[in-house]
Amino acid sequence: MNKNKIIKTSLASATLALLTQPALSQQDTDSLSSPTNNQTEQTASDYEWKFDAALLFYSESDSRVQAFEPVFMASKQLDEDESISFKLTVDSLTGASPSGAVASNQVQTFTTPSGNADYQVGANVYPLDDSFKDTRVALAANWSFPLAESTQMTVGANASNEYDYFSASVNANISHDFNNNNTTLFAGLSFASDTIDPVGGAPIALSRMQPVGASQAKLDGTQDKDTLDILFGMTQVIDKYSLFQLNYSYSMSDGYHNDPYKVLSVLGADGNYFDDGIATANVLFENRPDKRTKHSLFGRYKRFIDGDVVDVSYRYMTDDWDIDSHTVDLKYRFALNNDSYIQPHVRYYTQTAAEFYQPYLLQAQALPTYASADYRLAEYDAVTVGLEYGWTTQSDQTWRIALEYYAQSPTEPAKFGVLQDQTLLPDWNAVMLRINYSF
Amino acid sequence: MQKKRLLLLAILISTLGGCATMGVQPWEKDVLAKPEMALNEQPLTDALDDHIYFSKEASSGGKSYAGGGCGCN
Amino acid sequence: MALPQRTVSYRSSQGFVTGSFQAMAGPCEVLIETDDMQLARKVCQTAAQEAWRIETTFSRYRKDNVIYKINHALGESIKVDDETAKLIDFADFCYQSSEGMFDISSGILGKLWKFDGSCNIPEESEVKLLLAMVGWHKVQWNKPLLTMPSGMAIDFGGIGKEYAVDSAAMLVKQLTEAPVLINFGGDIYSTKPPDSRPHWAIGIEPIALGGKQQPKIGLRFGAVATSGDSKRYLTDHGKILSHVLDPNTGWPVEHAAASITVMAENCTQAGMLSTIAMLKGKGAERFLQAQQVKHWIQRR
Repeated sequence: MNKNKIIKTSLASATLALLTQPALSQQDTDSLSSPTNNQTEQTASDYEWKFDAALLFYSESDSRVQAFEPVFMASKQLDEDESISFKLTVDSLTGASPSGAVASNQVQTFTTPSGNADYQVGANVYPLDDSFKDTRVALAANWSFPLAESTQMTVGANASNEYDYFSASVNANISHDFNNNNTTLFAGLSFASDTIDPVGGAPIALSRMQPVGASQAKLDGTQDKDTLDILFGMTQVIDKYSLFQLNYSYSMSDGYHNDPYKVLSVLGADGNYFDDGIATANVLFENRPDKRTKHSLFGRYKRFIDGDVVDVSYRYMTDDWDIDSHTVDLKYRFALNNDSYIQPHVRYYTQTAAEFYQPYLLQAQALPTYASADYRLAEYDAVTVGLEYGWTTQSDQTWRIALEYYAQSPTEPAKFGVLQDQTLLPDWNAVMLRINYSF
Repeated sequence: MQKKRLLLLAILISTLGGCATMGVQPWEKDVLAKPEMALNEQPLTDALDDHIYFSKEASSGGKSYAGGGCGCN
Repeated sequence: MALPQRTVSYRSSQGFVTGSFQAMAGPCEVLIETDDMQLARKVCQTAAQEAWRIETTFSRYRKDNVIYKINHALGESIKVDDETAKLIDFADFCYQSSEGMFDISSGILGKLWKFDGSCNIPEESEVKLLLAMVGWHKVQWNKPLLTMPSGMAIDFGGIGKEYAVDSAAMLVKQLTEAPVLINFGGDIYSTKPPDSRPHWAIGIEPIALGGKQQPKIGLRFGAVATSGDSKRYLTDHGKILSHVLDPNTGWPVEHAAASITVMAENCTQAGMLSTIAMLKGKGAERFLQAQQVKHWIQRR
């Protein structure tokens, strides 16, 4: 409503202009100085397009996945409380990824997902499927606007496409400031619809991988998954220097959760692949439940300490696949001279295994309903350490460069027979280099 | 223009005020208003990190939506 | 007009020294938390000198200042000094951002309206006549030159006192780190909360006509200012007319609050917001809520 337009910020600058007058002091003052007013004001430049760009290089050990990911974001303030933003992400992946099969003391032959070719994994080598190469393109748009006094609404849409996966989502959030703007309550809803079109079709659950030329047990058509996310959050200013955030989120997904390229090895009593007379390695395609419900609690505390900033957060997640995880993240931003900073970062993550996680299957045992040997569903710890350096140029452009090291240490599953000579879940690590530029 | 007359009396109360609530006055927010104190200071970095961990770990979201999208590789 | 006595009297209790004096048609006081009487005197003197200086410089009742020069220029351009220019700039900003409600040229309307609790309502025609002499948009302001049509007059009644508080506070801050509260006739600034207390406690005078409980304000940093006056009103057929005049109509603003107190970063801001809120009549609450400032509104 025009009559109640917010004049407070412009008034603040108007009074600042009025009250900064060195000509005034003439009494027995010791020195002439203007008052120190550190207020942040809306200036005209806030209403221009703002651009942020980032570039990520990601490289896993042992020639696993390499990724190159440029992101570009444009945002514009439309009014004091209204803004829009657009984001484009391109994610280019090459390399190999663990297939879920176990290493063996014999050479094993696997059929590629398309069913048109095969590849061999040497004796005592951890099986990676190196046939994937993918480029993902994602677009996001957000519009944030006031709904009422102190109530802000944001609506957004996202679409992400790669050759075997399409995801579209919409979200709406509402946030309300009160208590003199010291408290913000937040509620949001996101709905995502994914379409999966695996190369060569989605394998029938727990079906055996067949040699090239033979008929592969694949489903026709595409697979779907819907995900609903609900988020409730609160941000509270504690004092002049600190604030905290508490979020609860609920996520429910329904549909195709399998990784169509992941398999499980079927082992005999000796701990080697069970020979069923087919030349191709005896592996079955995984099967996961078609529903998953997750709950997370996230807490974050941020404090300004004499120019530096400490940012610490913790997340607890639990789901009905029996995965529990804890994440602790700590960043400390040391302010350096002339608008630059250096920020060490440590992150610790630990998770329990999904109830249907199996490093392998046994020929002698009945087939379970659900099984997956995906290393991401196993029990493991992961540590990230990183260092970021950022600086602002005289023309108000910000650069940040970060180098991070990520190391995952899985708990090695129980082994028997000749399998004891193999590592089922090797440690692995990745190095990330990120460059951000805002202008 | 109206002229104001004395309306207010500045008085001291010897007892402590019961002002124990959290939060600060708007003009005491100079520090919290600094960009580095914003909770979404680096949206692109957060998004890149979230995507990496989404792809490599079984947990996602918390800070924002866990969302859909590819969980492969 | 005889000059009021320009002296400061002191008293000391509970670790605070209070200096009291008269300025700008009201009682003023400066509170400082210190045992150092010499420092206290210096601080109070500085604040008082500043109040008196501003009163002298901008009073519309004197014949030797810039306001007199402007109001008696008979249409000629007047070149003003830096400080006056800044005040005019600010007044101009207030006029623009309040959509013409806040107008430093509206003071002459007061000639017609005598807010003494009586029922002396002026004639419609009189108001109309006088209204022709009101309107900041009729004034040409090309800093530092001010050109105003003959017959019009400006005054800094709505800004001056708050400005004096902030200005005195700036000077005091250069003298001492000790907590100081400056109170010029109800417009208040705190340099910092007292060391011995969580905040300064400010009481708002309850309104004369059966007001509710007296609100108390805890002030740590910054300022509070109040618009309104419970004792200044007129009655029209039993209806109370507030003393707040709408410069667009020349008539009292309808449903104006009895008093509005606003807390803000400095006194000028607080005073400006409370004044505009007063002019908004019924819309005062909505306006101040939108500004997201702490405020206290008393209605009759």
